Amino acid sequence: MKLSRLGFLRAFAAGSVLPLFYPLLDKFSAKTGRRRRLLRPPGARPEKEFLKDCISCGQCANVCPNQCIKLSDLEDGLENLGTPIIDARAQACILCMACTQVCPTQALEKLPATKEGIRAVKMGLAFVSEEHCYSFSGRTCGVCYRACPLPGEAMTLGLYEQPHVHAEHCIGCGLCEQACIKMPQAIRVVPFAELARQAAEDQKALEDQS
Amino acid sequence: MRAGRSLLALSIFTRTGVIALLCFLAFLTNYHNLKRGYNLPRLVELSEGKGMRIFYEKTDAFFSTFGDPAEEAQKNAGMTWSIRLGGVPFTDPIAALSVLVKSHRWELGFALGLIIPLSLALLFGRVFCSYICPASLMFFAISRVRRLLLKFFWLPEFTLNRGFCWGILVGGLITAVWIGHGVWTFILPYFALGQTLFHGIAYGALSFSLGSIIVFSLLDLIMGKQFTCRYVCPTGRLLGAVGTKSVFSLKRDASTCIDACTSCIDVCPMKVAPKFDETLDCSMCGECLTICPSQCLSIGLRKSSTPKPDPSP
Repeated sequence: MKLSRLGFLRAFAAGSVLPLFYPLLDKFSAKTGRRRRLLRPPGARPEKEFLKDCISCGQCANVCPNQCIKLSDLEDGLENLGTPIIDARAQACILCMACTQVCPTQALEKLPATKEGIRAVKMGLAFVSEEHCYSFSGRTCGVCYRACPLPGEAMTLGLYEQPHVHAEHCIGCGLCEQACIKMPQAIRVVPFAELARQAAEDQKALEDQS
Repeated sequence: MRAGRSLLALSIFTRTGVIALLCFLAFLTNYHNLKRGYNLPRLVELSEGKGMRIFYEKTDAFFSTFGDPAEEAQKNAGMTWSIRLGGVPFTDPIAALSVLVKSHRWELGFALGLIIPLSLALLFGRVFCSYICPASLMFFAISRVRRLLLKFFWLPEFTLNRGFCWGILVGGLITAVWIGHGVWTFILPYFALGQTLFHGIAYGALSFSLGSIIVFSLLDLIMGKQFTCRYVCPTGRLLGAVGTKSVFSLKRDASTCIDACTSCIDVCPMKVAPKFDETLDCSMCGECLTICPSQCLSIGLRKSSTPKPDPSP
């Protein structure tokens, strides 16, 4: 009896150590920094809580009618393995909110597919590059404004249809980035997690200087 | 003997059905896209070809028997890890544990999804492993290949203590809290298979989880028959522990059992010994029922927990 208990404990220890080698797989990930430009689906809670709850079951990618939600692969780092990501330039989210309805763990909070639901989304923030944008170099375009789900609120047009993003209303869906006819795109969406990371970095640099 | 054969056939049938279901759910992503993009079979055929038109029409017809096809199709999604069928959620107990230790909260729907898997385990024991788990069908096939290979080569047959599985469960939970839930892709074979099928069909891309499937298959081929099911997969161990006192179990008629025969122990993929009435971790696959020469084994209500004293001296 004592021997079998010892065997149990030995096997238990061997088994519990084995999964701890899993971080070694990170050596195979390319770490291209690509993840920094990828968005989470609408309704995603702040990045840290999202990663706590997302069990990478793939239900959101399964029901996405736009095929914009992809499940991330090994190249985006182990903590993002199998979690949903959106590459806005390739295929942006059309805010149908189907993914928020099916998420089993509420990593994506339930949102209605109405204007109110769309306003509640916080995926990222769009930034216009004035040196790339056609409208800012005198060639009237305005494609991004026509793609915006909240025209007049999140984005307004100036002279020659120059786009102006209003940070307090922009939800960062990426439809403008997908629509942009310039190559490379003159308008880009940066995820909120990346904005927060950069803000923290800037803060740290400031503190180091002073 | 016939009961065993039919159980074996049933288990192969249901597991093939589960794999077909997973493939269908992955195809459903394409269906959603076609529905939102074209919403017309003629346009689908012009753009995507005849095969997609047939798939689109069949899916549309199937879901329109329940109601609005686009809405009904939204109620079916996921993999064996966490799946939603007809709006009913199913949750893997390991997923529930992993979320519990990492985020300390359960959503109501997520917790309710545990009811069916756990009650199945309480009723029949570890039946998930031989009737639902899509990876175990692969391991079943590999064990048959192994049996064929054993006629020509010598292959080792390792045994481990049950503690190994519990260790992997605890280590996996620690790693899940430390790094992320992605660790289960490399521990649970059925999750890896679901991921591979989904990536392959919905995105047309090879998934990272294919690597872990290959590792598990090699383990099974070299280390012993259904090695992964017995000693690696923590789901099976957990469900086996839940179903220790399951309502239905494997029974043995001691009066007809042949003393010198150990065929049921030799054939059992879970290394259970029905001959000694030891049915912990029995997944009711029916292998022993097919091979028992005296047909003393059967599946029925579990005997009362206090066994009668043996009348023979």
